[in-house]
Amino acid sequence: MDISTSSSETLLISRIRSGEAEAWDEFIARYEGRLLGFVVRRVANRAAAEDLVQETFVGFLNSLPNYDPDQSLEGYLFSIAAHKLTDFLRHEGRRPTMPLVTEESSDGWQPVDRGRRASSIVRSRERHGLEESAMVRAVGEMIAHWRRRGQWERLQCIELLWVRGWSNKEVATRLGISEQTVANYKFETIARLRTAIAGQGLPEEVFPELYQ
Amino acid sequence: MTVPFCTTDLEAYLDEALPVEEMAGIEKALRDDPSLARQLAAIIARRDSGLISLGEVWRRHRLSCPTRQELGSFLLGVLPDDAANYVTFHLEVVGCRCCQANVADLKNRSAETQSSAENRRRKYFQSSAGHLPRKS
Repeated sequence: MDISTSSSETLLISRIRSGEAEAWDEFIARYEGRLLGFVVRRVANRAAAEDLVQETFVGFLNSLPNYDPDQSLEGYLFSIAAHKLTDFLRHEGRRPTMPLVTEESSDGWQPVDRGRRASSIVRSRERHGLEESAMVRAVGEMIAHWRRRGQWERLQCIELLWVRGWSNKEVATRLGISEQTVANYKFETIARLRTAIAGQGLPEEVFPELYQ
Repeated sequence: MTVPFCTTDLEAYLDEALPVEEMAGIEKALRDDPSLARQLAAIIARRDSGLISLGEVWRRHRLSCPTRQELGSFLLGVLPDDAANYVTFHLEVVGCRCCQANVADLKNRSAETQSSAENRRRKYFQSSAGHLPRKS
């Protein structure tokens, strides 16, 4: 999918930033249904699910000054909703407490270790962001290439390996292909990504999975 | 007790990105097995050091998610077969929660009464509009 914010979304956000109530109304109408669809399957109580969507919208407005339009707006909203949901489930006792919320965040939804101090961060946020962006570009271009060429089996194979963490054997069984084919897809994909990452001047240790 | 969850599952759990049934399975296992919490803490520490897995990048940026327009075409049955098969795979096998939510929304929009959606949206608006930036 297109990971950046579309021009119509950019315009809508610009209107919201200037305090236009009509724009905010339009924004709610556009996104509330999918946000409700996201939380409602985890929260049996419909009213509680609607409250979480409400908190997501407030969280979005509070974090608006920090929103980067290069990021997908829908993805950003889902990430706020996920953290609201996590907090809710923790309070309900369904989700064990983990140190996931930073003290730096006034809105309290960002997924960072509370106990972390700046001195403990090995790589700076800025550097980390650049590396992640490079990988997003490389993988995004690869997926677009597969889609254009109709290489859906290859896409499914790599998605199950990396996004779901399945073994070669499980992937082969699910897709009805040989383990050798899975291994070949994996090998070719890693080679392609290594080239792309090296071409952007990034060191090998950034994504060690590519060099194991 | 041996916990049958791989690191990728646990990463997705932290991001609230696993299919609902698997999220519940990890939550149950966490109550019974303290070692699982230590595995999760190790993932958080690794993320804090700046190391992120390919799966996390892929999932976080939703690199293979169909667009909302494609999901709409899928529901209308007008996507080409191979693309439609991929959408089914992405929804049912990968279990993408964001795309499932979009599909649920698209289905509801045609089924839900106008007034119930409007009431809900009015409630959201009234509770959040006070947080809008001041008009310049």
